[in-house]
Amino acid sequence: MIDEFAQRRDDLEALLIEVLGAVLGADEVGAGWGEPRTPGPVLVSRLAIRDRQDDSYTMVEIETPFAVGRLIGARMLSLADPTTEDLLDAVAELGNIVAGEVKPLVRHSCRLSLPVAELAVSATELPAGGVRVSASVFAGTPQPMVHLTVRPAGEAEPGPDTCWPGSPFDDDPREALP
Amino acid sequence: MKILVADDSTAMRMIVVRTLRQAGMSGHDIVEAEDGQQALTMVDTEAPDVILSDWHMPNMTGLEFLRALRAKGSAIPFCFVTAEGSAEMRDVATSSGALGLIPKPFTPEQFNEILGKAVPS
Repeated sequence: MIDEFAQRRDDLEALLIEVLGAVLGADEVGAGWGEPRTPGPVLVSRLAIRDRQDDSYTMVEIETPFAVGRLIGARMLSLADPTTEDLLDAVAELGNIVAGEVKPLVRHSCRLSLPVAELAVSATELPAGGVRVSASVFAGTPQPMVHLTVRPAGEAEPGPDTCWPGSPFDDDPREALP
Repeated sequence: MKILVADDSTAMRMIVVRTLRQAGMSGHDIVEAEDGQQALTMVDTEAPDVILSDWHMPNMTGLEFLRALRAKGSAIPFCFVTAEGSAEMRDVATSSGALGLIPKPFTPEQFNEILGKAVPS
């Protein structure tokens, strides 16, 4: 499954740019391929996708430096001075939208969790088997990057507090039919 | 006209309301719910004329909300606004009684296309 993601790196980058462009304005977003991540606190939105065919889990993460997250949150919420809670909500929703686009790239029959957002001390390393693409936002800001990571779930993931909305069958519309 | 917006994300509720305005659907009363269960309760207390709802929400999903609504005999125009917009989900949405499904990220034009007949400008 992850090999499929590696092969679809261009698709992942395109969808990240498309979503960010729709949310922030197309003129504010461009490809960020190959640019390094910078140290410091980051806002992270994390979701899990469960493949029902082989019971495997894939993690989808959106990560952005806190300073850029403030700009994104302010734009999404139309607030001059969003609180950290506002920023976590905005980044969580950004992750939700992106993961909704990533999900069809996994397999047909799979289920998407609700997002969990956190303020982390620093960026995490990309684990083996994972794929990471980046987009540049708000040209002129010191850390103008948003990163999308798709990776296999770790041993403790998804955690027990992960929320899977609805009944076990709601994720598959065919099974949700009366 | 009163519009009920149900989404567990405050950010997305704000974006939906802003997009309604950008689509020319301003001047309406907006009430908000954080999940399907709260929205179902607010249908009785607020008597909305139109409902815009996320699909994936905690406590009660948008689909469960819609089905509960229709089971009560309510015919309030209902539209999903959701991060997943596959053809199958659209089919489930419409067969369950929704006007349609607006995928996130969305545009004011998409709001007009699907909500135009239910929400006057």
